[in-house]
Amino acid sequence: MPEKRNELRGWLLDIFPDEQGLMVWVLGEDGKRQALHHDFSISFYVAGTASQLRELWKWLLLQPENPRLSREERCDLFIGNISVLAVELVYPSDLSPLFNRTSQTFPNLTYYNADIPITLQYAARYNVFPLADCEIKIDMQAHITDIRSIHSPWELDLPLPPLSVLSLEPECDPFHATPTKVHIQTPQARFTLSLEPARVFIISLCALLKRHDPDLILSAWGDTWLLPRLLQMSKETGIDLPLNRDPDQSIKHRDARTYYAYGQVIHRGKQVLLAGRWHIDIHNAVMYHDYGLEGIWELARVTGLPVQTVARVSPGTGISSMQIVTALKEGVLAPWRKQQAEHTRSIMDLIRSDMGGLVFQPTIGLHRDVAEIDFISMYPSVMARFNISPETILPGIRDQNTDLPATSTEQGLIPKTLEPLLRKRIAIKMQLLTISKWDMRYKTYKAQSAAHKWLLVTCFGYLGYKNARFGKIEAHEAVTAYGREALLRAKEAAEDMGFTVLHMYVDGLWVQKKGSNKVQDLQPLLDEILNRTGLPIALDGIYRWISFLPSRLNKNVPVANRYFGVFQSGEIKCRGIELRRHDTPKFISEIQNEVLELLARSPDADHISEYLPKIQSLIDGKLYDLRRQRIPLEKLIVRQTLSRPVNEYRVPSPAAVAVRQLEGAGKFLRPGQTVRFIYTLGEPGVYAWDLEQALDPKKVSVHVYKTLLDRAMETVMQPFVSMQAQPFLPLFFSDVGNTSINFSSLL
Amino acid sequence: MGRTLPSITQEFQQEEASFARFRRALRRSDQVALDDLFALARQHLAAAAYAAHALPFETFLLCMLLEEHKEVMKLKQHIEESRARKEE
Repeated sequence: MPEKRNELRGWLLDIFPDEQGLMVWVLGEDGKRQALHHDFSISFYVAGTASQLRELWKWLLLQPENPRLSREERCDLFIGNISVLAVELVYPSDLSPLFNRTSQTFPNLTYYNADIPITLQYAARYNVFPLADCEIKIDMQAHITDIRSIHSPWELDLPLPPLSVLSLEPECDPFHATPTKVHIQTPQARFTLSLEPARVFIISLCALLKRHDPDLILSAWGDTWLLPRLLQMSKETGIDLPLNRDPDQSIKHRDARTYYAYGQVIHRGKQVLLAGRWHIDIHNAVMYHDYGLEGIWELARVTGLPVQTVARVSPGTGISSMQIVTALKEGVLAPWRKQQAEHTRSIMDLIRSDMGGLVFQPTIGLHRDVAEIDFISMYPSVMARFNISPETILPGIRDQNTDLPATSTEQGLIPKTLEPLLRKRIAIKMQLLTISKWDMRYKTYKAQSAAHKWLLVTCFGYLGYKNARFGKIEAHEAVTAYGREALLRAKEAAEDMGFTVLHMYVDGLWVQKKGSNKVQDLQPLLDEILNRTGLPIALDGIYRWISFLPSRLNKNVPVANRYFGVFQSGEIKCRGIELRRHDTPKFISEIQNEVLELLARSPDADHISEYLPKIQSLIDGKLYDLRRQRIPLEKLIVRQTLSRPVNEYRVPSPAAVAVRQLEGAGKFLRPGQTVRFIYTLGEPGVYAWDLEQALDPKKVSVHVYKTLLDRAMETVMQPFVSMQAQPFLPLFFSDVGNTSINFSSLL
Repeated sequence: MGRTLPSITQEFQQEEASFARFRRALRRSDQVALDDLFALARQHLAAAAYAAHALPFETFLLCMLLEEHKEVMKLKQHIEESRARKEE
């Protein structure tokens, strides 16, 4: 208990409701972790006819939670100000049971603010956020009376609390084989403990938890295997394992689920969530490979969601949390279930508006000195700049001059939410351009920028998602309409200034002009586009050469997003080719990458032929290694994500066969999970990587991998075949001009 | 994904497929020419989508004409250039 002190300074770690109000976990300036109590009343709102609300009022008075009732005037985003019944509860933990009974008894009423995470309510009321450095006022009983954050989440270089981290990593993937040891890293040391005997392991882990009192348990497969296993061991040995810092709270489990989003089936493993400290499983965290812990901290700060939650939810949940916080701050009601349907409209209107971004067909072939320019966060910028939000779109009205959907002038909820995020993103991008790669901040900025990017990308999708609280299809369509207009104006600007437009893709253009191959040559064009569109645009880089590839099926048909090229810096950029695909074995993607790197060394496209012998000998060597079984089996693994349950595969694809093999061994995969396998000789032609018995390297099908390699080589070499100038080339490819180039026929 | 109307690429494929019987009855050499015409139209799918006509096949026909005319202009220029060279 604090003595006389009535103020303390500390970092906000975690918030959750208990029977008396809220528990707020704070990491004090002095390094002490403590839980403070905070009284926090919470309300939900109900709309309906006067008689319905009167009936509800009478019913609510009889409920044991004893809510405080009042009539209030509040704003529904889609309707405007309405009269509602406010139901206020002193204890936040009462809200969900009372609300569930209410909505079951009165299913025909409209409910608001009924399912908003408590942390968001807290963030909106006190302007604080997870990991914030706070000034906290407390009374004699150590109850919080006020809390204030010193920084805003929109500042750059926010300080990070001195967190204590304990890492737990099983020695191998539990799905592949049963681990017997766990690698442990404490702030001081790194060592390995055997899981058997269970008693010894649990006692050691208890001691570690007590000594280091970690704020974060960072695990590998902790959600799906390790923590459930540890809890089981603790039960069997009868030794209490204090994984939770708060002994009064229980450990929360969430079941695994499979869902469909952005054209993909996604699987999220089950989750183990702790109280008073965090658990993050690096294999179950979203985009962990993309932005790591730094990205998770940043997402927690800007969205207001708890660290453990934000690590596991999609960026869509992140952006809708930000919208809810904005709504709460503005006094706008957040609907429980959205009632808004689409307006009726004519078929011509639908034909004109049900379109995505503008995607051109590029000019196939090899091009020199090409500049790529991209609008910066185009769709979010469009929403912010042209004030596009569900409530600002004027239905059916178009601007007379531009023929674009018209919007009202008062700033909408979505632009208000996005503006600070966009500003922070652009500020970080500017910093990244000026500081060196070795600067301490570089990695942090990169991670933060990646985290922001995902929030901004999904923001647009959520506008069109029918179940999103603040979504509206007309607003979503307006964004693409403004985007198409901006891209066309950019094209016109480029053509007016003498550039040839080789390709356009939603928010980027590839342009070419004789003599324009320096950064300063492009500046006038960027200025002109900014002037004509009002949207920021930047030069991504100038390619020494770039090759737009045709479709695999028809050589005359260009494909929008299949190309590779080399920037003047020597950096390679490629899209849609084998090495970018997740199902390409490492063996293939590494060779393709090496070949591209060899090609990138050529100062310009005219000298590429000099590099061809090197490429040939590289491939000779790799194929020799493949035949001699010198390629590690790991590099031959093909990874495929299951899009449906295995019994729904009509044709036994290699992936389906591998899944069946695993099922025979008692290992089951669900849609959205990844199956790993290797192509083998004879029947059935594949071997699941996660089978107990290791594969004999002699069984690998050299033929299949050689075919895959041929195909990958054809992709990168075909633009140079058509150059024809090199006498070497006809020798190089056995069958020039035909799609079935057998690259390694000479070997 | 999440669309009410088919995309322009889907429309294009449907239109092309609806001429399967017509194509089948053509001479092999004419089939090749027909395939070329469709491949030419394909290059302008973005513009066709942006045009948003109720009957997209009209736009596809115009795309074919457009590419044909480009070819004519190119050949014309070629002839004029070679004629000029001859006269020199």
